[in-house]
Amino acid sequence: MSDTWTDRLSEYLDGELGGAERIALEAHLAGCAVCAAALEELRRVVARARALDDRPPAADLWPAIAEQIGVSSRAHAARGLEAPRARRRLSFTIPQLAAASVALALLSGGGAWLLVGRHQPERNPSVATPGPKAFGVNAGPADPRYAAAVADLELVMERGRGRLDTATVRVIEKNLAIIDRAIHDAQRALAADPANAYLNLHLAEQMRRKLELLRQVNALAARS
Amino acid sequence: MFTTLATLAALTLAYQGESDTTVAVQAGARLDVNNFGGEIAVRTWSQNSVRVRASHSTRDRVDVSASATAVSVRTSGRRGPSSIVELQITAPTWMALTLSGVYTDITVEGAGDAVTAESVQGDVTVTGGNGNISLKSVEGSVTLSKTHGRIEITTVEGDVTVSDAVGEISAESVDGDLRLLHIEASSVDVNTVDGDITYDGTIRDGGRYRLSTHDGDVTVSVPPNASVVVSVATFDGEFDASFPVNLTRAGKHRFSFTIGGGSARLELETFDGNIRLRRPGQLTEPAQPERKPKHDNPY
Repeated sequence: MSDTWTDRLSEYLDGELGGAERIALEAHLAGCAVCAAALEELRRVVARARALDDRPPAADLWPAIAEQIGVSSRAHAARGLEAPRARRRLSFTIPQLAAASVALALLSGGGAWLLVGRHQPERNPSVATPGPKAFGVNAGPADPRYAAAVADLELVMERGRGRLDTATVRVIEKNLAIIDRAIHDAQRALAADPANAYLNLHLAEQMRRKLELLRQVNALAARS
Repeated sequence: MFTTLATLAALTLAYQGESDTTVAVQAGARLDVNNFGGEIAVRTWSQNSVRVRASHSTRDRVDVSASATAVSVRTSGRRGPSSIVELQITAPTWMALTLSGVYTDITVEGAGDAVTAESVQGDVTVTGGNGNISLKSVEGSVTLSKTHGRIEITTVEGDVTVSDAVGEISAESVDGDLRLLHIEASSVDVNTVDGDITYDGTIRDGGRYRLSTHDGDVTVSVPPNASVVVSVATFDGEFDASFPVNLTRAGKHRFSFTIGGGSARLELETFDGNIRLRRPGQLTEPAQPERKPKHDNPY
């Protein structure tokens, strides 16, 4: 999972390594597929995080969700739009990368607004200054933020299912079950090898997929 | 017998509405079509006009409106959404297309600009397209060919096939196979949860390619002159290549090797499946891919 360089990738990405260290790391990257892959993943995570500055949740999705769960969409929208959009510096160690991927999935759509609005009311939804600890390192399915976001989205889905065709609902439920199985598989594998980079990222990917599918369904129901 | 047939014919005529509308369009206008159920079929021509032929029940209607910037086609019923409307549309090749429906199959042939197509229960098939290509379906296959641009495909339950495409490709399914054939791309990011992935295309210097599935095989062609670092991860499956590679273990369940100078990055991952590397031309037709045997991961 880790070697002497894995915890330095974030500094490398931020241009904070000294000349000698940078050259040494680049030489290491040429021969270490794990670090190279982790660096790529890190770039993706950082790019997605920075994109959040300019990508508020879909405007057509949140009002319907807010209405269904009985909260004010205006208040959330105003708070989000007026939030200072400081350029964020993101630093992760490799063990935090999977957690960061999931956290970004939480923060990149309606689920994020649910999450921020209902469970962490004082936090700025644009997440202006996250360091590693802002994301935490325990973004597995049991992570309370993830679990809460999934529960919220499932609640909205349940309330909106009457607006969807029964065949569509069946397809969605079947595919959510497929993703749940994948999450379970990854969890089981991770239990035996908790530090495995591939398994951590794979689990994070499946968790992200579940959030995305739930959001997609709710957007669909809101449009119907 | 004759009376019965005549009655049926009369009833059919009574409930069959037909319309044929042609509107002129200005350069740069886009075509925006929404059809709740049935079909949207778009072909292209060199004329600066849009022709909309519709076949539907008399209870449904088709509205065609044109402005300086768009031609809009909408279907509706007397009390809400339309039932089944078949739309045959001919549009200028240069026109950008935005097509959507719920119970709707969408077909595009010969598009020369951006294409956005979205259906809930229906297949999406596009030939052509240039620029941003965004195709989505919840329950349906997505097929794209002879296109050039930034391609983004999403389906929940359905296969994705992209062929003869140039550009950047992002594709995602939950329950479906992903097939990318005859591709020229510097950026490919495709993933599915339950399905096989096949990639047959170029590996460009400096390119980034990531193919990932949870339960399925990953089969990729790698040209002999490729310059790429290949990272392979499979939790429960096998790896085999049709050419010699010098594997370096890079962690449990993951290994890597370099071909040529290692300019590009190719990441191949499957939790439960096999990973196969082949030379171009060695990929078998993936229509009935061999499912993986259940072997312990040897790595």
